[in-house]
Amino acid sequence: MTTALRLRQVWTIARLQLGRVFFSKRSFWVYLLALFPSVIFFGHGLESKIRIQRMSSRATPPAIIETIREGDTEEEVLQRAGKPINDSTNRRRVVTKMGKLGKRERVEDNDEPERRYMMYFDGQNRVDLNFEAGILQRKRTRAILNFEEDRTVFAGVFQYFYLRLAVFFGCLGIFMNLFRGEMLDKTLHFWFLAPARREVLLAGKYLAGLIASVLIFGLGAALCFGIMLWPQNSVEVEAFWRTQGGSHLFWYAASAALGCLGYGSVFLAAGLLLRNPIVPAVVILLWESINGILPAVLQKLSVLYYVQSLCPVPAPMDSNAPLLIRLLASPAEPPSAALAVLGLLAVAALVLWAASRAVLRLEINYGID
Amino acid sequence: MNGPEVVFDEVSKFYGEVLGVNRVTLRIPSGITSLVGPNGSGKTTLMNLMVGLIYPDRGTITMRGLSPRDPESLMRITGYATQYDAAPRGTTGFDFVATGLLLGGYSQSEAEERATKALQRVRMIEAAHRKVASYSKGMRQRVRLAQAIAHDPEILVLDEPLNGLDPLVRAETIALFREYAGLGRHVILSSHVLQEVDIISDQVVLIANGMIIAEGEIRTVREEIHEHPSQYVIRCRDASRIASLLFEQDHITQIQIQDDRLGLLVMTRSRRDFSRALTRISLAGHTVESVVAADESMGALYEYLIGGDR
Repeated sequence: MTTALRLRQVWTIARLQLGRVFFSKRSFWVYLLALFPSVIFFGHGLESKIRIQRMSSRATPPAIIETIREGDTEEEVLQRAGKPINDSTNRRRVVTKMGKLGKRERVEDNDEPERRYMMYFDGQNRVDLNFEAGILQRKRTRAILNFEEDRTVFAGVFQYFYLRLAVFFGCLGIFMNLFRGEMLDKTLHFWFLAPARREVLLAGKYLAGLIASVLIFGLGAALCFGIMLWPQNSVEVEAFWRTQGGSHLFWYAASAALGCLGYGSVFLAAGLLLRNPIVPAVVILLWESINGILPAVLQKLSVLYYVQSLCPVPAPMDSNAPLLIRLLASPAEPPSAALAVLGLLAVAALVLWAASRAVLRLEINYGID
Repeated sequence: MNGPEVVFDEVSKFYGEVLGVNRVTLRIPSGITSLVGPNGSGKTTLMNLMVGLIYPDRGTITMRGLSPRDPESLMRITGYATQYDAAPRGTTGFDFVATGLLLGGYSQSEAEERATKALQRVRMIEAAHRKVASYSKGMRQRVRLAQAIAHDPEILVLDEPLNGLDPLVRAETIALFREYAGLGRHVILSSHVLQEVDIISDQVVLIANGMIIAEGEIRTVREEIHEHPSQYVIRCRDASRIASLLFEQDHITQIQIQDDRLGLLVMTRSRRDFSRALTRISLAGHTVESVVAADESMGALYEYLIGGDR
């Protein structure tokens, strides 16, 4: 038997399995996981676009907005900028005070100055003006769509949700089913009775799972990235594409794909060894979660360790988050991109080798007769 | 090297605490071999061991010189039709057969050609493009058989292959087995229908409680059973006279004259002595129209060796 024929067998098995992987009812939810961030960003983009469109008809030229300074009076502002999009006045502040009978009472604080809030729109940004006693105290300009901020949010969603949960559970659904699903359907013996080595069968099934998961999650990441860019200012987006855009897109898609490669191997092996997918899911999720606080040697036995370091933008972390959350979410000291890819390939190869030993020992019973 | 035989050497298989088969030593020559035994006796275990779906805890198995641990080589010369549906969900009968061939390294066109031939052979070509899930029991049986024979194997292992088949297809299937056996190939099957085993088998393997009770040709096995006298039915004109002549022989244990008084059921402890005595009687001028062994059948062997419960 030649290597060429074995490779052909691997491809035949993968081709036959692809239909099952893509259209399995058992793993339909994988698509929902992959598309969830895209839906979120689409909602965000659509809402921003609608807001911009709604406010555009009453936009004030940026040059006029520029002339408004803290210390201006309400009348001066209204004279220059015209009627605001939003205008609200709070004449008296209601405060809670201790009453005569020792009970708390809500009363108007007559000492408080009159407050007024106005909102303008300059075509891109929202300008919030806060007045006290008729004088502008604070002027704050906020972009309706902040490209920088959205990219940071994307990095957070990608690393905290997509890699840690969507790709993780998606691979669980796809790869655990490759063997375990066929055992449940009592069809695995069809493959075992083929004139093919068990290792070839394993490779074929892994390839099918990998093609499917890479397409689903790689394209899912690219789609989400595209949707994140869609409502942004075209000049900014163009500049982004000219500098880092292509590289960012590549590394996001690559990290998703490499995540599938790593988690795929782990869950394929788990499907051969264990009946219940919950057990490996919990154990591996825990292992991956505590990766950042593990000793350096053990960190290298994690998929997340490698794929996180490939992400082009570091995930944001709220400094007010509890210490435990910050520790669990903080990535380990990142390796270089080349080392990360090689490390991940090495981890996947090691796990697949262990899986190939397990598949050689696997026995099938139709029932004892 | 074991050559063209299927050989079990001291093979044992346990499912945890449950015995599958115990210390099975067998040499199965080419031809049609039936595995016979009650439910749970170990027939399917033996078959699964042959094709490497399970592995022995002890002992070795060789299939025409190949190990079941080498499916790449073994399954090129072996076809196995299980009792269970093997077709992956949503597969048509044609795809089911053709896929096995593609995995075997056949080109797409060759696989399709062979699949068509195999399905024609089992009269399933008209339903070939329907999903296996929509087939009747008999159709599933036939499509499994088509898959097993599609690559023209040297060893056919068939678990209850005649179950659910109508009489015509059953006859054709038996003819197919005979054709395979005639080419010097192995056809190893299990069956509960002892009359069929009688008709089709070149040799039988009786198995009970995971152990081999007897193996060989039915006649040879019968000859080995000394505790049960052999039974013959003699058709003759002068039944009473022949009965009295036979009763003079020491080896005759019982004679029953049939109601029409033209036949006898004779029980003897020695087949050879019975044969000699009958020759003498014939030479003395008594007309013996026919002599048929009444218990050289699978049913009789089963009853003698295993007991009534099938």
